[in-house]
Amino acid sequence: MLYREQWLDLARKLDWEFSYVDEHDVFPDVTSGTPWLPASAWAEWDEPYRTSFTEYVANQHAKEASLFAVHESVGRAEDYARLDPSWRSAVKLHAATLPLAEFAAVIGNLRAGRFGRDSAWRTTSTLGALDELRHTQIPLLVLHDLVRTDPQLDWTHKFFHTNDWVAIAGRHLIDEMLVTADPIEFAVATHFVFETGFTNLQFVGLSAMARAVGDRMFEKMVKSIQTDEARHAQVGMPVLRTLIEHDRARAQFLVDKWFWRSWLFFSIVTGFAMDYLTPLAARTQSFKEFVGEWILDQFQRSLDELGLVRPWYWEQFLGALDIYHHMVYASAYTYRATVWFDLTLPGPDERAWLAQKYPETWPLLDPVWARITDRWRTGGPELEWYTHGTTPITFCSLCQLPLCGGTPLHNTARFEVRNGRRYPLCSEPCAAIFKNQPERYAAHKDVVMRILAGEAPANVLELVHNYFGLDQDGWGKDTARGRYPWLAETKR
Amino acid sequence: MLVPIYGFVRGDTIGLVALVHDYQTVAELAACLQQAASVRVAPKQRAKVYYERRLLDPKLTVAEAGIGALERVDIVPEDE
Repeated sequence: MLYREQWLDLARKLDWEFSYVDEHDVFPDVTSGTPWLPASAWAEWDEPYRTSFTEYVANQHAKEASLFAVHESVGRAEDYARLDPSWRSAVKLHAATLPLAEFAAVIGNLRAGRFGRDSAWRTTSTLGALDELRHTQIPLLVLHDLVRTDPQLDWTHKFFHTNDWVAIAGRHLIDEMLVTADPIEFAVATHFVFETGFTNLQFVGLSAMARAVGDRMFEKMVKSIQTDEARHAQVGMPVLRTLIEHDRARAQFLVDKWFWRSWLFFSIVTGFAMDYLTPLAARTQSFKEFVGEWILDQFQRSLDELGLVRPWYWEQFLGALDIYHHMVYASAYTYRATVWFDLTLPGPDERAWLAQKYPETWPLLDPVWARITDRWRTGGPELEWYTHGTTPITFCSLCQLPLCGGTPLHNTARFEVRNGRRYPLCSEPCAAIFKNQPERYAAHKDVVMRILAGEAPANVLELVHNYFGLDQDGWGKDTARGRYPWLAETKR
Repeated sequence: MLVPIYGFVRGDTIGLVALVHDYQTVAELAACLQQAASVRVAPKQRAKVYYERRLLDPKLTVAEAGIGALERVDIVPEDE
């Protein structure tokens, strides 16, 4: 009888030479990716986990049992109701953006499971597809029971089916990265950049925060997902190694492009949670500190190992790390009825903490919060619309996120004109990505273009209700409805 | 004719779309954008309007200033 290490490659390395058909016909470059290389170029492909299907099933079964034990004991409505309202918003933000994006990743993995150029790659991607199906089903199941308690959790399933501006931005990213990318771009974008670079480590931070706020269910769910991600994300490195060997410029381009695209979405989802929606007492580090400790070092090591260089916009990225998610949060707070989760007004203690964590940029943002706070004082509690914008906001033609680049002193929005149409772009990296592949992006309409084309209403209330799919019960409000003890105290 | 204009008010965190008539003045455009941003930034009595890095005369109309649809203007307090 063979030992595991002796038979494993027999079950993973199953490629053979084609004699009845051409290799190009089996793996066309349109579905297998570019550069198209002969099978021999991929023959040494390997990844460190080397899991067999039997081991996969046994491990996943054990993880399911453990997850459901936690669900049974602390996943009930009364457990959820005991959580801090701000944290519940962080859960709703992640809950909506996670499961159907994971389902899109099933498609990307299955494409690689068929058209990846090495059989071991295809095997790992097939297991990755099963992982992503699990990541779709777990949050839908865990949070579905809570919809009766909190209708905003309905967006766990509904989000990607709507025309909410965050969903449009999310789909624009996910469709390109997960649904339509060829296996090479998918491996670089999803496995190397998004998973290894961001979400794998994000889940470590998120589970730690969930533990600190006493949300054992979310902690367990995220940890369970993270262990899968850590395994199938290993597809990225060996694909990138072969790509670098044959087309270094394309490898660098894909890393640069997807680091920026991933960063923007990650900074909003995780930046909001870490710096605003986690109760102050439970925060152990700022979003910037977390990225510095968990993301940048690891990403730099990976680039060094591969012989790639940092993305060309690195200095702009470091600048954005200090301010971008703050710009978007302040904007989103004052347009909170356009999203499906509540947002929290930072009080004096939170603002002092943020000033300490972001000494360079917070002085530019604090006046905005002082202004919003004054409006709450003037209007009084429950007067949501007195601290809410009513004029349409602007969006980037690449990332589809609001034009919040730069600082309050200098917004970095710029315009690209193509075939007589003007395209607003939030930043130099978004502009560069757009200009590099305009045929890929130019036909898409952002929310403003849809309004001007008569496809969406211009009135904000109608837009929110009829186009974004939000009703008065479900749309975002101030977490405390303006009834903060500190607001009343400072008024006196 | 109504003209949609991208406006950036100094001190604000986001760009806004102002829909103005081309016969309205640059000063009215500035007031419109300051009002739209007033949830986050207190409006200033006097504000300058920059278009393509040029300081605009507030008495000009939007059409006279040459501001076209979907172009960018920046609103900066007079004392800056």
